[in-house]
Amino acid sequence: MAQEAEKQKQDVSDGADDRDAATAAPSADDADEGQGKEGPPPGGGRHVEIGNFRVFSDLPLPEFDMGNCKAYTADNLRRDDGGAFALVADPAIPTRYDMLRFLTGIHLGGQIDLLDYEIAHWPLFDRKTMVLFYAKPGGGRVVVPGEKQRKIDEHDFAKVVVEPLMSVMQAVADKSLTHRNIRADNLFFADPMGEKVVLGDCCCAPAGFNQPIVYETASRMTADPAGRGLGSVLDDLYALGMTIAALGVGHTPLEKLSEQDIIDLKLAKGSFQAVVAHEKLPLILIEPVRGLLCDDPDERWGFAELNAWIDGRRAKPVQSNTERRAARSQNISGKDYYTARALAQGISKNWVNSLAPLRDGSVEIWLRRGLADNERAKYMSEAIRQMQWAGADKRAAEDVLISKSIIILDPTGAIRFKGFAAMVDGLGSMLSYDVQHGRGPQRFADVVVRDVPSFWFGQQGGFSPDVQKLQQVYKNLRYYVKQQSAGYGYERCLYAMVRNQHCLSPMIEHDYIVDISQLLPALEKVAEHISDDSWPVDRHIAAFIASRLEDDVEAQLVALQNPSDEVEYSRAIISMLALVQWRHGPDNLHHLSHWVARLMEPAVKVFHSKARRERVEAEIPKLAKRGNLVELYNLINDEQERRKDQTEFISAVEEYSEAESEVFDLESSGPARLELAEKVGQQAAAFASTMIALLTVSAMFLMHIW
Amino acid sequence: MSKRSGGTRKKSAFSGLSVVVSAVLLFMVALPTFITLTVGLLPSMMAFMFDRTQGRTMARCIFGLNFSGVAPYILELWQQGEQTVGAATQQIFQPVALSIMYGAAGLGWLLFLAMPPIVANVLNLSAQRRVSELRKSQRDLIKTWGDSLIKEIDRSGS
Repeated sequence: MAQEAEKQKQDVSDGADDRDAATAAPSADDADEGQGKEGPPPGGGRHVEIGNFRVFSDLPLPEFDMGNCKAYTADNLRRDDGGAFALVADPAIPTRYDMLRFLTGIHLGGQIDLLDYEIAHWPLFDRKTMVLFYAKPGGGRVVVPGEKQRKIDEHDFAKVVVEPLMSVMQAVADKSLTHRNIRADNLFFADPMGEKVVLGDCCCAPAGFNQPIVYETASRMTADPAGRGLGSVLDDLYALGMTIAALGVGHTPLEKLSEQDIIDLKLAKGSFQAVVAHEKLPLILIEPVRGLLCDDPDERWGFAELNAWIDGRRAKPVQSNTERRAARSQNISGKDYYTARALAQGISKNWVNSLAPLRDGSVEIWLRRGLADNERAKYMSEAIRQMQWAGADKRAAEDVLISKSIIILDPTGAIRFKGFAAMVDGLGSMLSYDVQHGRGPQRFADVVVRDVPSFWFGQQGGFSPDVQKLQQVYKNLRYYVKQQSAGYGYERCLYAMVRNQHCLSPMIEHDYIVDISQLLPALEKVAEHISDDSWPVDRHIAAFIASRLEDDVEAQLVALQNPSDEVEYSRAIISMLALVQWRHGPDNLHHLSHWVARLMEPAVKVFHSKARRERVEAEIPKLAKRGNLVELYNLINDEQERRKDQTEFISAVEEYSEAESEVFDLESSGPARLELAEKVGQQAAAFASTMIALLTVSAMFLMHIW
Repeated sequence: MSKRSGGTRKKSAFSGLSVVVSAVLLFMVALPTFITLTVGLLPSMMAFMFDRTQGRTMARCIFGLNFSGVAPYILELWQQGEQTVGAATQQIFQPVALSIMYGAAGLGWLLFLAMPPIVANVLNLSAQRRVSELRKSQRDLIKTWGDSLIKEIDRSGS
């Protein structure tokens, strides 16, 4: 787990380093939309103008780097009120939409000022990415790795560190958000005198992604960095506790231990005990650290206890480790485990070997006798029974049993399924990470298809609105994954869960399209060069539109399920694009309109009448020139005209069929007609004869009279 | 069914009886006229006896023209001052008279033979004209609606 997390981070860093090494040659694309203009600065360095800022790509500021996101010197072109720096986000990692929206343009005591953020072409990456602009804090970093720490007096901790951080956490929590990047080496002095600290960035990566594992709670540390999830204010409070400990000891606690050792230690002894066993905490800080590092979230210190501590009042004593320890151990792959959480982690790390003790009931007996936890033992036996009912796919059932067992043992922990480990609220960012780092969506799809999160929800005790909300989101995910057609699948899950996920369609991936209003301009640019008959909407774009557009496009997605129905398929695509243009513009999409017009041939077939088709075909190039997709769509979707065409067509079909059957009747009724002719002919002859007789007699009679 | 056939038989018997009664009355009251009619309408009587067509149309056809041929001689007989069997016999056995009467009956028979083919031709011609009208309207529909019409017809047909 820890190695994997390490590897994950290493991958990202490697990617970033590669890009750092890239030459800063100016690109032709730099000038688009007035952003990303590169040129020599007055000082001689290379610079890029992004929005209201000038970013110097050859003047890095490693001091403000945030994990894999690199910081560069920036000038504010509009206001000259102190320095700024630009933090260039890794395009392969999603940023945090809600936090960006909340923090942009506001001053929050205790939080570094986020001045603005823009999506712009970054020459070192040779693609677009998100660039965040922060006001430079007055002082430097509080803890500089490898350098002697600038000491904060223990007695000033409350004023200098805790109060500003609490105000940030409270402000963030008021918006139902979490910071999830609170740690000692993300603290800066707000002023040169070092009287207050401010927290650094928390927006350029998923929640908890850049946190060392020691800052994560026992529940979340078992998840992969990308899947640690948004969490709650309690996770921020825990990180605050660890930050205080780090500032107290002068370095990151347990930094000499490997991630796996930290996990094992925290699970075995509890967080506080693990820290105090290896670090020498200042006496004055022991109480808040103990309270904040409590592994039981219900017992963990909150703002009230912290305020009491700041005011010098004694807070309620907290039991640092509430995890129940078994009288005897449970052995997995030669290692003994005494707590349920540690066993859960042991099982997840020894996936194959742990099946036997689970299946033969050893773990269930251990729960019943070792931990005296009959309830969990009952769940375990139920899970084993369910596995026995499994059908043909025995292997999958065994994997599900292991995963369920982990959840039973650690109900608040991460969902672990083979190599996958993510919190339920971190599924989206985990999927995003997997997809963009070559692992693909399979692990996520396996978890969702096997319905493991449902079991996780079932194991959560009591009512929690957050869990309810997550459950609702998950229901949709299962539906999306089960659907195979464009607009659904893992792509839809990705865009539905990660609000700031840029569109991963190969056509526009480098344009870093996060907002739906940017989609059509990007496609317009693609349309300038596209020559083949590919569609402008692929699986990613369909899912992106379905997730981001305010309008319901389910009808169009249903039509996309059947690509063999060319007419409906092309209409659905044109309709989706037209909807996006209608909602978000721009008004003129000259190239995209021509691209769509080229592909409209099947859609024209929506009309049956040749005259109507010819009229529409003649109209298409004219409308394409105007660059309006809505007009193009309306042309083929004139409901009145379509209905008229349909009605007339049905009448024509009926008329044709009636004519055909009448012709058939006439051609096949020869003998019957002859029979009729004979009968009628005979009757006509008899009638004629009778009439002749009558006339003759009458004539002669009259002649005789005269 | 039996009631209807019984009714028809009754009607036919009544009609036959009325003819016999009329013939007996005629024989008793106007023997020369009876002789002229009997000899002149001999083809019609034969036709009535042997005609098996529905409604005895052939017999009716022959009778109509046959009677037209006989009627002038009956009238001529009635115009003579006294009606005698001799005069009637003399008149009726003239070759010209017989030719006219029997020729007229023959014409009736020819009419009976000729009329059905004529009617058949008329019906065939009218059917052909209707077929060509329908084919033209189908061509017009295809011209207006194109291949989609044919596809739809094929689809609904299959």
